[in-house]
Amino acid sequence: MRTLLRYGIGVIAVVLAATSAHADTIRFGAILPLTGPGAGIGTQQMRGIQFAVEKANAAGGVHGNTIEILFEDNQAKPDQSILSFNKLADLQHVPMIFSAYSGPSLAMAPLATRKKILLVNAGAQADKLATASPYLVNTLPTIGDEIKVISKYLAGEGKKQAAILFENDAAGIAGRDDYQKYFPEAGGTILAQEPTQFGQTDFRPALLKLADAKPEVMLVSITAAALQMAQQYKQLGLNFAVAGTTFLQDPTLVADPSSEGIVHTQVRIDAPPELAAEFKAKFGVEMEFFVRQYYNATQIILAVTDRLLTEGKPITGESMHDMLFTIGKFQGLIPLEFKTNTATVPLDINVMKGGKDVTIKQMSSD
Amino acid sequence: MLALQLLCNGIVTGCALGIVAVSFSLVYATTKIFHVAHAGVYTMSGYVAWSLLRHGFPAPIAFVGAIAAATALGALIQGVLYARLERRRATHLVVLIASLGTLAVIQNILAAVFTANILQFELPWGSQVFHLGGNVRLTMTQLLTVLVNVAAYGGVMWFSHGTILGKQIRAVASNPFLAEIVRLQPRRVHIYVMAIASALVCLPGILVPLDFGLQPYNGVTPLLTATIAMIAGGVGSITGAFVLAIVITELQNMSLLFIPGEWSIGVTFFIFVVFMLFRPTGLFAAAR
Amino acid sequence: MDFWFSYIALASIYVLLGLSTNLLVGIAGIFSVSQAAVFGVGAYIVAFFLMNETMSFLPALAIAALCCIALNILVTLPALRVSGDYFVVTSFGIQLLATAVFTNWTDGTGGANGLPGIPPPDLAGKALESSGEVVSLCVAGMGLGCLIFWLVMRAPFGRLLRAIREDELAVAAAGKSVLRAKVSAAALAGAFAGTAGGLYATFLSFIDPSSFDLDSSILLLTMVVVGGARTLAGSILGPFLLLALPQILTLVDIPTTVAAAARQLIYGVLLIAFMLFRPQGLAGEKL
Repeated sequence: MRTLLRYGIGVIAVVLAATSAHADTIRFGAILPLTGPGAGIGTQQMRGIQFAVEKANAAGGVHGNTIEILFEDNQAKPDQSILSFNKLADLQHVPMIFSAYSGPSLAMAPLATRKKILLVNAGAQADKLATASPYLVNTLPTIGDEIKVISKYLAGEGKKQAAILFENDAAGIAGRDDYQKYFPEAGGTILAQEPTQFGQTDFRPALLKLADAKPEVMLVSITAAALQMAQQYKQLGLNFAVAGTTFLQDPTLVADPSSEGIVHTQVRIDAPPELAAEFKAKFGVEMEFFVRQYYNATQIILAVTDRLLTEGKPITGESMHDMLFTIGKFQGLIPLEFKTNTATVPLDINVMKGGKDVTIKQMSSD
Repeated sequence: MLALQLLCNGIVTGCALGIVAVSFSLVYATTKIFHVAHAGVYTMSGYVAWSLLRHGFPAPIAFVGAIAAATALGALIQGVLYARLERRRATHLVVLIASLGTLAVIQNILAAVFTANILQFELPWGSQVFHLGGNVRLTMTQLLTVLVNVAAYGGVMWFSHGTILGKQIRAVASNPFLAEIVRLQPRRVHIYVMAIASALVCLPGILVPLDFGLQPYNGVTPLLTATIAMIAGGVGSITGAFVLAIVITELQNMSLLFIPGEWSIGVTFFIFVVFMLFRPTGLFAAAR
Repeated sequence: MDFWFSYIALASIYVLLGLSTNLLVGIAGIFSVSQAAVFGVGAYIVAFFLMNETMSFLPALAIAALCCIALNILVTLPALRVSGDYFVVTSFGIQLLATAVFTNWTDGTGGANGLPGIPPPDLAGKALESSGEVVSLCVAGMGLGCLIFWLVMRAPFGRLLRAIREDELAVAAAGKSVLRAKVSAAALAGAFAGTAGGLYATFLSFIDPSSFDLDSSILLLTMVVVGGARTLAGSILGPFLLLALPQILTLVDIPTTVAAAARQLIYGVLLIAFMLFRPQGLAGEKL
């Protein structure tokens, strides 16, 4: 028992030492998967937030206050997310936390409600997120909104026999369920469905089995490795159309010849060229989709903070939540509006052609 | 058509997995170490090849460079870590956890240097498609995977039965104490084994990512499946490990014909668990 | 205060799991890497009963514990037939099989989406909603678990288990039933894991398969080895330390985008160093 005490006290002392705070900085949190299989996307998300915050701080901060973001790694796991959430909420007293991935966001939602902390998701798209908590706001539409649009479009094009390729995790399954619901509503039929594992890049068995059902179009609901999927599809000599959602927007896929003709809905979020160039100069990589999404979300949060400070109101989760809906309309990288907890944003239908993602139809997510 | 193409794909994946299993089996049969960090060596070799190609080296040099790097890493892990643990008479569990720690170190160095994104090789010849009979299509990479790994299997068989070092390794594996007495120096042999196994695992370590891309955290699943193949095939049996690896991937592939894909992994492992209950020493144990 | 509460509650739950793993791996010598699967079954059972309002928390927990006792005996049965490393890999197989079931049996487990909105635990008709009450419950669970573990280890049964681990043949020759002792140890370990599962589900109010995968099983083993195998103090220290470690590592200030990977790297290095320089763990007996 003596060893127990000794080590126990050591641990507590170290953790306590970490919890002292500075003045004149406004702190927000971000709980993202920074290691493990989700880290690729998580790192993009972190850079988007960092980029926006560093730009704001370089320009003098928000009303002279430096903004600081406390990043927590949850490895896309719910229990780590809860620990991180409580740590940020109780020890750092942050009023707002960026989140990503459906599982962790859903796990944190009840805590956000209870503690009145604004949870901002700019990455996950499961339908349940729309109603999980009044304090959870989504800056991009749910997967269901996108799938309604693509289903109607495909039915209009006469492609009514479909097969679904989905990732066997929360995000992929949400997409599959929505295809099963909305594609028949638009007049189509689902012939077959096949899962793949997240992180696995061997799509051949699933593609072959789907091809055996002889569909006119394959509806895709995978969040990673779209390039490998398209290459294997080409190599197998398959000839049905491929359609999907924003998940398919991956610059390496668009640039690859195997993507020719892929149709997908796209949450419009363009970075001005000079901004993208500045980002590339800073981080050495392209400003990809999730970078732009989290940059955009951070700008919304900074706008909310700015307005609260202008009006001399305290910065709490509750005040930020209320102010977000008071302002309602934001102009970040894209115009977006909060009528509900899920923003209404412009939604395009794109087709990949000659190494470019070409918009063929513009609409809105509602 | 579907069945045939699934069968061919299963053979391709199975051959690659077979060499992972064979190389793991070499280490395990000789050193009795559950060398989880082997997954790290496997992953690292692909990254080395990728980055050498990126720096403009021609493919053969890049591949040889990767093999050299992996060999060195394997020998290093044995010489610096496992040998030291053995001297301290660490138990299996302790060595296993040290190995897990090593795996975490390798994976996260790769993730820090190369990011966690999927990296794709840019070798146009790799995706060239060949039409075999019966509508079966395989890419150059896939054909190469089968050829190289089958050749590697043949090589290992010849090495372990036809060369002196191979025989020494088998001697150390079957009786380390006796080997020590007849001055075979098991510790030195262990380092050789780790080096050879690490060089060997490079082959699938490079060929599989040529086809499927590189990810830092992706080596564990193949390694686990390979260990299962090794056990089911009978520890120490090279043929057992290789054949069972192909059988397991075929099971996963062909089961798609009858059941939804969600369950293919579950069914495979269910069969495995039941199999272990009825034939716990493995299929090829007698061939030892 | 909630951070400390959630940390203590989670650590308490993991202590129960550590006790379970320690009983099997450290004391009975059954090298199981599928304890997370049993843990998961406990969590899903309690979640199921509470979400369907079939019964209150304690009976649900009791049923979960009973099911996990049965399951753990079933899962460790191969250990009686196959030995050592063969069992490790069989156990891997069982763990992967369980993950496949958790992920794909959508009607029972919510599948990969998980089960959100599990109601808080209740005692004597009163729901424990405040975090203080929940943490007390978890700590009470842990205390009870530790007490049972302590008593068992002092009883003749504990000495029998230790003897089996030292020399199974000698024990059998002395006329003791090795089989019965191992099965009893597995049963007790199952009860601990099932209880931990029930507490975990109600504490987090959300469960999904990622909490019960192979990584979690390995984390449990690591906790036991780092804390110290075969001792009560080790089973307590390990979980408390390893759950705090990611939080402590965030204090290491690495400003770049590779910070998270670098921290995991440090974790790996710490594990290696630990195994090299203190393989018996913080408070354990030599393995």
